[in-house]
Amino acid sequence: MTFSLFIEQIINGLIIGSMYALVGSGIALIYGTMRVLNLAHGEFYMLGGYLVFFLVVTCGVPAYLAIPIALLAAFLLGALIQRLTIHYLLQREGWAFSTIAVTLGLSIFLQNSALLLFGENVQSVPYYVTGIVEFAGVRIPMQRLLILGVAILTIAVMTYVLKATRLGWAIRATSQDRDAAAVVGIPASRIYLITFGIAAALGAIAAAMMAPIYAITPWSGLPILFKGFVVVILGGLGSFPGAIVGGLLLGVVEAVGVQLTSTEWRDVIAFALMIAVIWVRPWGLFGSKS
Amino acid sequence: MAEAPMLRVENLNVLYGDFQILWDVSMTVGAKEVVAVLGPNGSGKSTVLKAIMGLTPVRSGKIIFEGEDLTKVPTHEMVARGISMVLERRRLFGAMTVRENILLGAYHRSVNKNTASRLEWVESLFPILAERRDQIAGRMSGGEQQMVAIARSLMSRPRLLLMDEPYLGLAPRIVSQIASIIQRINQEGISVVFNEQNVHLSFGVSHRGYLLESGRMMLTGTGEEMIHSDVIRRVYLGV
Amino acid sequence: MFEPLRPWQWLLVAITLAALAALPLLSSNSYVLHVLILSMIFGIFASAWNLVTGFAGLKTFGHHAFFGIGAYSSALVALHSGLSPWLTIWIAALIATVAGLFIGLPILRIRSMPHVAIVTLGFAEIVRITISNLQSITRGELGLWGIPPFESFTLPVLGEMKFTPADKAGYYYLILVLLVFSTGLITLLMRSKSGLALVAMRDAEDAAESLGVNLTRHKLLVFGVSAFLVGLAGAFFGHYIGILTPSAAVGPDLMILVIAMALVGGLGTLSGPLVGALVLTCVVELLRDLNDLRLLIYGAIIITVVMFLPKGLATLGPLVRRRITYLRAPTTSPAKHL
Repeated sequence: MTFSLFIEQIINGLIIGSMYALVGSGIALIYGTMRVLNLAHGEFYMLGGYLVFFLVVTCGVPAYLAIPIALLAAFLLGALIQRLTIHYLLQREGWAFSTIAVTLGLSIFLQNSALLLFGENVQSVPYYVTGIVEFAGVRIPMQRLLILGVAILTIAVMTYVLKATRLGWAIRATSQDRDAAAVVGIPASRIYLITFGIAAALGAIAAAMMAPIYAITPWSGLPILFKGFVVVILGGLGSFPGAIVGGLLLGVVEAVGVQLTSTEWRDVIAFALMIAVIWVRPWGLFGSKS
Repeated sequence: MAEAPMLRVENLNVLYGDFQILWDVSMTVGAKEVVAVLGPNGSGKSTVLKAIMGLTPVRSGKIIFEGEDLTKVPTHEMVARGISMVLERRRLFGAMTVRENILLGAYHRSVNKNTASRLEWVESLFPILAERRDQIAGRMSGGEQQMVAIARSLMSRPRLLLMDEPYLGLAPRIVSQIASIIQRINQEGISVVFNEQNVHLSFGVSHRGYLLESGRMMLTGTGEEMIHSDVIRRVYLGV
Repeated sequence: MFEPLRPWQWLLVAITLAALAALPLLSSNSYVLHVLILSMIFGIFASAWNLVTGFAGLKTFGHHAFFGIGAYSSALVALHSGLSPWLTIWIAALIATVAGLFIGLPILRIRSMPHVAIVTLGFAEIVRITISNLQSITRGELGLWGIPPFESFTLPVLGEMKFTPADKAGYYYLILVLLVFSTGLITLLMRSKSGLALVAMRDAEDAAESLGVNLTRHKLLVFGVSAFLVGLAGAFFGHYIGILTPSAAVGPDLMILVIAMALVGGLGTLSGPLVGALVLTCVVELLRDLNDLRLLIYGAIIITVVMFLPKGLATLGPLVRRRITYLRAPTTSPAKHL
């Protein structure tokens, strides 16, 4: 393998990793604000993929319109699901487990609803942009650069929202202390609803960008959910910046690991990395112990 | 008292599961009054304040503030009604800066106008917080954190401030600082209800007090009256 | 929950067992036996998962790994060494136990429930992918077939116990014995000092720890026993079905099925997972024609039970009983209602 090929693989790892980061940051946001582990998060990714497919391929809507519509739909779906299930469970005893169990049920339910609606055929979306960029012998398709660009933009927007907007302050305050936030006038249940919607939309962005590269199937949520979990363990469960760094790291580690072994072992590498991190630093690579 | 009291709590009953914490608790707070709720550990002092704020569900009874029934009003709407609270053990947003914590006190739409003048007023009460504004709140000392918590609760310019165990875990020097802050707040025209286990600490700053024992109101009166009461002796000394 | 049974409860258990034991004599319908055999395999699996999740309060989501490890170990050892499945199922259960202790150690250091859920899920995925990738040994998704069945033998009263697809009585009795063994072992474990410590820990982990109960040892014991039983169920499954694929024996679907069973029956009860396994296995068979809807319905069942029946069917028992006492109450003590 030449050096430039190796660099290409690292860059590809970063690009895929940026998508892992978006999925993982959604899981982190949900866990961070309401302490709920969302096992149905992969399904937001899967449904996001189908939404884009339906709009672009079936209805012929241009991608630059289809993707925002898909995001909005994913946001509404996420918020609706939160309102109908998690919202009630959080008010009961034993919610830490019951919320995991209900999202497991939701995951199966949504997966198989997609199977009924769209069938088991593998679907894909045409490239949004074509062409290849070549620099010093390193060749990267434009589509992949677009993915990276969208990821950077999304992360920048999310960082701005969390740091500098009223909503972002409310999300951060609620995630740090729900009662104290209520006392200053922040309605936790509405923040939870919005956070769930945002997280679902983050999954849908990743799905929309990956749709031209990776096949869309009713089962495409599960592997990406597992990747998201690895990401949040690496970054510290509940940390948004941790999830971003964790995603990029996972992408690169996978890319290098696959070079050393073969593609079938990609997921084993990811999980082994996760278990190793849990063993050594259960609070994540970047978080603090408390 | 001629005019109707600002806050009237009537026959409050609160249960945690099957365990009754408060039994028919009633109390009043007048305008510009400082009221201490005292009682031994586990007597339900904190629960009274949490119930007023809506942080603890109420089984029966009424909470009436300035003529409005607040019993069913959710916690996050209280600041709009003019009530604010300093929670037990400060409960700051530990990962945020001092300034962010204080500004969050004016989060609610009803109180987020003229934030600059509110901030100016609060920082005039606590000049040290202006100096420390960029510090991460969770890394401050207990006394400084208590000041941030009080500053945060004042940003909404409440008419009634509830303080849950404001002296808890603080050094004696800091306790007297906080006590003078309570007096200062009261001079600004704000009613204060706080709870405290120590009788003498309570009456240092309050006009009146209530004594709770095992979830029941045992006694009310001025500090002077209560300190010499037999009930206080029985509850505290077991005489 | 683990008080000694009252006489009428013993009677109920005895009648149920007698009815189960007599069933093959009354009906040789191999389809009925097949459904019951599957119910009992899943009954052991769900009970063992419940032991860790319901009783010990360790919410794991990766027990299908032990099922797959048990199934593949027993099948492969029997295939390659020529040892009898009668022996290999125990070897396989022990291998699953070792795997259980291996993954149990790291997760016991973790207090956070979501971390435990994620790590156990990840571990099971590693096992599934590894089995799937090691095609030279396991044949991957092509399926491992030709797994030897149990050797037949003769019993005094019941006659010859055969283990063939046509005559399932042998399998039926074997899994019934294993189910009784597993339920007995769980009961004994929960009545032991470890069991008491575990219940204490589930209710108040900090309190139990401050009393100086060494939780790690008890948790590890329970995790090991649980992995052992699931491995045993998996090993039996392999020899009974005769063909193994990673998705059928270690797939996440399997775990979802078992979680649904335990939730439907009632998490944290002894009989709940058994009842849940029977009910859901029968539901699956009734829905055989609607195969596409099967998992959709599982998802709906899990959601419904968690939302509306948080303690499972087990809660309906006292409800029914309460209604009966309520109906009777006015005649016995009308004063109570005044």
